[in-house]
Amino acid sequence: MEKDNGLVNKNVVKEWLLWGFFWAVLAPLWGILLSLTFNYPTYLSGEFIHFGRLRPLHVNGVIFGVFSTLFLGLIQYMVPKLTGARMEREAWSRAALWIWNVSLLAGFGGILLGYNKGLEADELPALAASGLVASLLIVTWQVLGAIARRKEEKIYVALWYTIAALVWTDLNMVFGNLVLPHVMPGVSNAALHGLYIHYVVGLWITPGGLAIIYFFLPAAAKAPLYSHKLSLIGFWSLAFFYPFVGIHHYLLSPIPAWTQTIAIVASMMLIIPVWTVVANFFGTLKGGKWGAFQTDFTVKLLIFGAAMYFIGSTQGSVEALRGLQVPTHFTDFVIAHSHATVFGGYVIFVLAACYYVWPRIAGGGFDARLAQWSSWMIMAGISSMIGILIIQGLVQGTALAAGAEFVDTVVAMKPYWFIRTITGITMDIGIALVGINLYLSGRKAAAARGAR
Amino acid sequence: MKRAKTIALVAGFGFFFLALLVQGILPYLLKPAAGISSREVTRTVRTPLGDLAEVKAEAAPVTDGGEKRGRAIYLREGCWYCHSQYTRPAAGEERRWGPVSEAGEYAHDLPHLFGTRRIGPDLLRVGGKYGDDWHTAHFFDPRAVVPDSVMPRFTWFFRTEGGRQVLNDEGRAVTAYVQSLGMQKGKWRDAFPYQNVRSGSASPEAAKSAERGKQVYSRRCAGCHGEKGDGKGTSPKDVLFTIAQPRDFTSGVFKFRLTPTGSVPLDSDLYRTITAGIRGTAMPPWFNLSEDDRWDVIHYIKTFSPDFSEYPPEAPIVVPQPPKPSPELVARGRRVFDEMKCWECHGREGRGDGPKSDTLEDDFGNRIPPANFTRGIFKSGPRAEDIFRTFMTGLSGTPMPSFADSFASPDDGWALTYYVLSLSADGGDQP
Ligand code: HEC
Ligand code: HEC
Ligand code: HEC
Repeated sequence: MEKDNGLVNKNVVKEWLLWGFFWAVLAPLWGILLSLTFNYPTYLSGEFIHFGRLRPLHVNGVIFGVFSTLFLGLIQYMVPKLTGARMEREAWSRAALWIWNVSLLAGFGGILLGYNKGLEADELPALAASGLVASLLIVTWQVLGAIARRKEEKIYVALWYTIAALVWTDLNMVFGNLVLPHVMPGVSNAALHGLYIHYVVGLWITPGGLAIIYFFLPAAAKAPLYSHKLSLIGFWSLAFFYPFVGIHHYLLSPIPAWTQTIAIVASMMLIIPVWTVVANFFGTLKGGKWGAFQTDFTVKLLIFGAAMYFIGSTQGSVEALRGLQVPTHFTDFVIAHSHATVFGGYVIFVLAACYYVWPRIAGGGFDARLAQWSSWMIMAGISSMIGILIIQGLVQGTALAAGAEFVDTVVAMKPYWFIRTITGITMDIGIALVGINLYLSGRKAAAARGAR
Repeated sequence: MKRAKTIALVAGFGFFFLALLVQGILPYLLKPAAGISSREVTRTVRTPLGDLAEVKAEAAPVTDGGEKRGRAIYLREGCWYCHSQYTRPAAGEERRWGPVSEAGEYAHDLPHLFGTRRIGPDLLRVGGKYGDDWHTAHFFDPRAVVPDSVMPRFTWFFRTEGGRQVLNDEGRAVTAYVQSLGMQKGKWRDAFPYQNVRSGSASPEAAKSAERGKQVYSRRCAGCHGEKGDGKGTSPKDVLFTIAQPRDFTSGVFKFRLTPTGSVPLDSDLYRTITAGIRGTAMPPWFNLSEDDRWDVIHYIKTFSPDFSEYPPEAPIVVPQPPKPSPELVARGRRVFDEMKCWECHGREGRGDGPKSDTLEDDFGNRIPPANFTRGIFKSGPRAEDIFRTFMTGLSGTPMPSFADSFASPDDGWALTYYVLSLSADGGDQP
């Protein structure tokens, strides 16, 4: 897998990743700006820039900007390597890239101007979202085409996840944009929206992120995958249970109780894919490969991300239980879960993969000291953020359940929110340093090539 | 290729649609009674006899253009990232925000606005909790009203008029929308036990409670009533209050009392008022404050006027147990209303448009229209006892006189009470 087989269009991958880093610095920055308003509520008071308009930019920015852009870029690298075939219609890669990113820019502009559909994680105006769908369809076509021309009969598990993620998300984006905002008002709309949200995180980010780690962990650690049977269990249990969990966003609501119960059971069952998948990753490093955790930044971040994924997903399963949901839902406890999984897990997976891919496509070694610093900033930032969010969620939730006056509990949150902002800043600087480090190493290599 | 196709078809298409069907569509298709497309809601209504009853009713679609526009603005401004719109049968939410959500209430919501995070309180039932003046002041500067708030300012909902801020079209639309929240359940708030308390238990007269009360006051009341208690807080300076000005506590004038006109109120009167708020005005209800906080702040506001220490409250009237309402009682009430000339101010139909209504002013020189009983929003409280008390002791500082000496029998008082209440009877779906 490691050998350069000349099938990857390096320039396209490079452009995708650069755009990805653009979002990777910007979207968390929006989060920092938002978080600051909890301590300085008036500093963002413009008609087009205030909490209510900026929050969807942060959430969609992380999902569709940071994670998705980097993931789509990495697909362009990973698929030729895995299939032994060039991407189908390679020229379209760049079209997909520009459609994707311009749509995002336009969509975010639209939200700031007030075109907000009113459905969480589905806010992008229909026109912008159509751009995203078009881009996804192109990539799906390219991937399936490459697979059809593949050299080896067997399909590696990373490809399974990639195929499934793309098919699911093509469907889901169409569903979320064309169907959801227009049919079945009221409680049914909430139920469908719960499904949509969890299709985004469960059927796009999760399989996408797992594809990345399944590919890059063995590649970077130079070790074979621990168990293909485990990956089979992991994939099919995820594919079966994940679609059913969406309604756990709206427990104890007027959605019929049996529907809620199915969602809770499915949420608990997700422990199966999570634990098997994580066992597989840690197993891969057994037999003397743990040294790579010290020396290789891809492995370091992937394993750290796997731990976060494990913690965050397990938290997600148990917080679906009604007993824990009562005090913790609606609080920062849930925000802890989303940051642990989406950022701590999947975004870190794709960042880790960049450490692997970038030197191979842009050449040159990056600065190890800087990489060490940035890794630690990211890891320390996200871990302490999750810690603080869990604590504050429990504090506020139990206070409210005990009958405290609402605004008093808001006051109690302010010191925590302040620390949270600092953890966010630490994280974001860490990410920016990763980007700068890689970018400079690429420039240096290009200059060296030019000099020769 | 076979493997890839299996993955794409079974996992990709199959499981996606299976879940959509089971979790999204099936519940919708099931019998309305068991499913989630039911439009039925339990609604609290005022009967033609003047009391409250619960009925089953069909959820009404939104027809008011303002509310529709207001909802669109609510989406645009992202209010829903900070405010959920569903209350659960758990964690004391019923006590905090009112009755648990019913499926039927949402029948016309598209997109739904359940929400997943509460930076601020749930808003499902916020309609009628505050008067429009409160929302006006709050949108302009949440921290003027609630100093600890983290809600953004919405200054573009305003235009300037005579040096003060008033809501523009957008601001009025959002306010109309916010005030409509929870109204599918009709007059549930009139029957909400936590807000409509009878009166408090005796207060602990500890000296330190006025000290603590000062803190409560500056965190909750000063924005309207002013640090000095003179009614000149920042909110009424910035924003035009159209319904009633925040009270100047240094005047020692209080409207809602069991004590006779001219006397200061009992502590328990203040406790009742502060707990329930003054409906329709900017004065919020404080039933979510701890009892201690409420008592402490009462002790503190009493320090603004020397009347409390110099002239102890006079003997309160006794409000007997109200009888059951009947058609005869209501008919008799109508005669009493005529005989006592309530209509001179309140109008023949109780619409607040009597012959004297144009000229009335309160003691502070503000225009004060007589209450319009048909709106069903009562400053003095929604219970029969509240109405009875109001015309027995009058509303000090306003032209509304005391009629304590005019009644031949207490039954005439109850007759008048139920008549006044019956004027806001809900048309249509009565039991
Ligand atoms: C940053 C989050 C945030 C946003 C955005 C926000 N609010 Fe708030 N809101 C709060 C907080 C916190 C409170 C509680 C403190 C207070 O009363 O100001 C609150 C209180 C309220 C209340 C009073 C609720 C009660 O029961 O006391 C209303 C009504 C309200 N907001 C309406 C709105 C509307 C309408 C919008 C959009 C135009 C909006 N809010 C946007 C945070 C927010
Ligand atoms: C948003 C503005 C606002 C806030 C905040 C506010 N009030 Fe008021 N309050 C008013 C207004 C307006 C009136 C006058 C209503 C009327 O006269 O009809 C009033 C009247 C009163 C009265 C007079 C009742 C009577 O019997 O006449 C009391 C007592 C009172 N408020 C106490 C408080 C306390 C205690 C707090 C804080 C816990 C508080 N208010 C917070 C606006 C406010
Ligand atoms: C001289 C004019 C006048 C007369 C006569 C008069 N009222 Fe009033 N009444 C008022 C005014 C003005 C108010 C509004 C006070 C306020 O808004 O604070 C009022 C308020 C009330 C309220 C309180 C409504 C609420 O919102 O809680 C009731 C009840 C009431 N009047 C009943 C009566 C009855 C019954 C009679 C006849 C027995 C009567 N009034 C006669 C002027 C009058």
